[in-house]
Amino acid sequence: MQAHNGGVHVEQLRLGNGLTALLAPMPGAPTASVWVWYRVGSKNEWPGMTGASHWVEHMLFNGSPKYPKGAMDRAIMGVGGYLNAFTDVDFTAYLSTVPASYVTLPLDIEADRMSRATMNQSEVHRERKVVLSEREGAENWPEFRAEEELWALAYRRHPYRWDPLGYPEDIRALDAPRLAEYYRRFYGPRNALVVVSGGFDRAAIARFIRSRFSRVPATGEDPTVREVEPVQTGARQTDMTGPGTTPFLATGWAAPSVTEPTAAHAMLLDVLLGGETRLFSTSSWGSRGDHPSSRLYRRLVATGLAVRASSAFGPRVHPGLFTIHAQCAAGVPLGKLEAALDRELERFAHDGPTRLELDEVREKIEQSTRLAYEGATRAAFRLGYFHTLAGAGLEERLLRQVRRIRPEAVREAARAIFHPARRVTVRYTPQGS
Amino acid sequence: MPGVESPLLLDSVTWDGGIELIRQSPPVGAASFSITFLAPAGWGQEPAAQGGRSRLLSALLTSGAGRWNRAELARRLDALGATLHSDVSPENLSVTLWGPEAHRDRLIPLLTESILHPRFEPLELARVRRELTERQMRELRQPASRAEKELFHRIFSRGHPLRETGFGSPASLARVDRAALRRELATRVHSRGSRFIATTRLSAEEVSRRLSRALGDVLEADLPPPPEIPPRARGSETPQRVELPGNSQSEIRLGGPSLVRSDPEYPAAYLANEVLGGRSLLSRLFQRIRERRGLAYHTGSELASGLWDGCWVVEAGTAPAQSGRVLSLLHREIRQLGKGTLGRAELHRIRESALGSIELELEDTASAHGLAVEVAESALPLQHWTDWPAQLRAVSPAAVSSASLRALDLEFASSVIAGPK
Repeated sequence: MQAHNGGVHVEQLRLGNGLTALLAPMPGAPTASVWVWYRVGSKNEWPGMTGASHWVEHMLFNGSPKYPKGAMDRAIMGVGGYLNAFTDVDFTAYLSTVPASYVTLPLDIEADRMSRATMNQSEVHRERKVVLSEREGAENWPEFRAEEELWALAYRRHPYRWDPLGYPEDIRALDAPRLAEYYRRFYGPRNALVVVSGGFDRAAIARFIRSRFSRVPATGEDPTVREVEPVQTGARQTDMTGPGTTPFLATGWAAPSVTEPTAAHAMLLDVLLGGETRLFSTSSWGSRGDHPSSRLYRRLVATGLAVRASSAFGPRVHPGLFTIHAQCAAGVPLGKLEAALDRELERFAHDGPTRLELDEVREKIEQSTRLAYEGATRAAFRLGYFHTLAGAGLEERLLRQVRRIRPEAVREAARAIFHPARRVTVRYTPQGS
Repeated sequence: MPGVESPLLLDSVTWDGGIELIRQSPPVGAASFSITFLAPAGWGQEPAAQGGRSRLLSALLTSGAGRWNRAELARRLDALGATLHSDVSPENLSVTLWGPEAHRDRLIPLLTESILHPRFEPLELARVRRELTERQMRELRQPASRAEKELFHRIFSRGHPLRETGFGSPASLARVDRAALRRELATRVHSRGSRFIATTRLSAEEVSRRLSRALGDVLEADLPPPPEIPPRARGSETPQRVELPGNSQSEIRLGGPSLVRSDPEYPAAYLANEVLGGRSLLSRLFQRIRERRGLAYHTGSELASGLWDGCWVVEAGTAPAQSGRVLSLLHREIRQLGKGTLGRAELHRIRESALGSIELELEDTASAHGLAVEVAESALPLQHWTDWPAQLRAVSPAAVSSASLRALDLEFASSVIAGPK
């Protein structure tokens, strides 16, 4: 099976043990990037096991039979390569980018640790301290504290209510056997996607993947998350205080999952309000700084009420949140900023975007996508991300929808999303202010 | 060896007025281009009374120019799929344009106009002041940035260009008005010390023609003289503790003055830092503090060698109760490095990793462009990236140890621990 993505030619392989691989050769490219995506994230955890996906991610750097502890770091970095991983609510991704001639090295490592990572008691115990330290470091940022509280406020049943870092109490209590069991359950070819992009010979790498990964047992569960979040029937809010600079606001509304027809509408809303083109931009997570032509910037930052204001609609497997964050300029009361935000959202939901505004945003998205596949690492990220969320063709489908949506439909989407009864708000006031 | 069109091979042209343009080929398959304007207008030489001036100027250079206000400029960039951003360091101020090569000729005027005719609109000036005011507060209250700020104050005396972080104070920011910004623009930004760095399919002459046509002979002010570097003061073994209640983690910073980039021992010092904490997962700090003991999620080191002076900083974030122990380990690792504990195998591994990673920078235009900008910022020869492997391979383990004693000198070092009690 073949597909084209941003001009990059992609071939899909399917192995007998259930593994899917996407190959995107880029002739002459100096690097090759290998990503393995597992459809396991914090959405698959349960109370008492929060943070397990992230902790397993750490453990996969602690050795496997062929690459004992430290050996994979030395092998990849020894040739100048880069390796890392990250855990999201919906997935966990491992990436290595190496000079192109070493492309089989990360593939060999990934095949080895797909089902045979070392999970002994002493390493799990030592890594517990590192994971706790990562969480404590995040807590030093008020934005992390408020974001964690926002999702906890919005969800009562669904596992999106906790952060992928997990609760400290669970991290302290979780032991090696239960962590290993979690790993064995969710990791394996049936729940994984391998993506290779860059300068390599397609046929040779296809052979290598077949030969190396076919030996991995056909494990890996991709369970459906059964908890469905009940519809929120009234606004929820909380006030927080802690270290910080000026007061800020984190707000959210229930938003569609990536496979719902209105996901593209929510994406357009995000670009209109906050300005980031996100999935359609050249930076992996789509953060390119200020957007002076966006609605929130014009109403909140340019007017002197806020030092920053942003929106975010992160497409997720299950219904997520559309969020808006705004931080007061020094001396501006939080209530004044919140009132200005409310007025702008009411205006937007009433009038919708102008045709000119929508045309500009569409053009911005079109232009952003032009260079979105430049470089092996970026290409592999995009191919894997879209495929992991909703299978092949998601990016093209969303783009097609974005091109067709009319201003009235955006307005209707704004009315549906920014419903006062489905709003959650965290007001963060720094200590002593 | 890189090919003829390798981004590692740079060439240059110099205009009649003395302005240099460094040109680099884009990586294979890249469809984007990038041009950076680099001016000797960093915050290292701004007077304390005008603290924050360079950061203000830097932000305003991308906040509207000529007939376009900030929003209009942003719309034009968006419509062409491009970005224009500015940055500032103690030595330099830079403005970088990045976008599709296909739109290059429509984008270059946006860069030149921003350099030549920034609007300095009062509303924009007020907006940037507000943003910098919040950043000043963040510097004082966020453990990582507070520890770094205090460290620089401990290791560099008054008047040293690396002592401040460029955010100024509320009072100094208020004193920077449009007239001060225009003076700075005329004397330091529009100066003969400024340079362009271009990563594009165009030849150096073709880029130069396009830029010089727009800029004429505006860049004519004399290059400002370098600052005087005050003598180094002895450091202190006792850490400064800054209590920031309500936080979860303590941030540790240990550092001191170091070598300039032109120092003959720089290649060995560079490797010393990579061994210590610069080469992330392979480094001693990562292996011994995180991987062996689980004491910190993040730990590492940085060597920043500039034209005027250098500094080194070692960092770790850890639980407050173990901050003293971690600081002792940081000291110990630095001492160990100076005692000749580095073997050939470890040096080989670190060196080959450092050299191999250069190839990773050739993946896209933005990262390759960074290599060319580094040549300009550090006044390196154009063949730097082709000479660098041989320079690193000539370094012995003994040379690394010896260089570490100068480059990571504990005699002039100090430390700060910022966080909860």
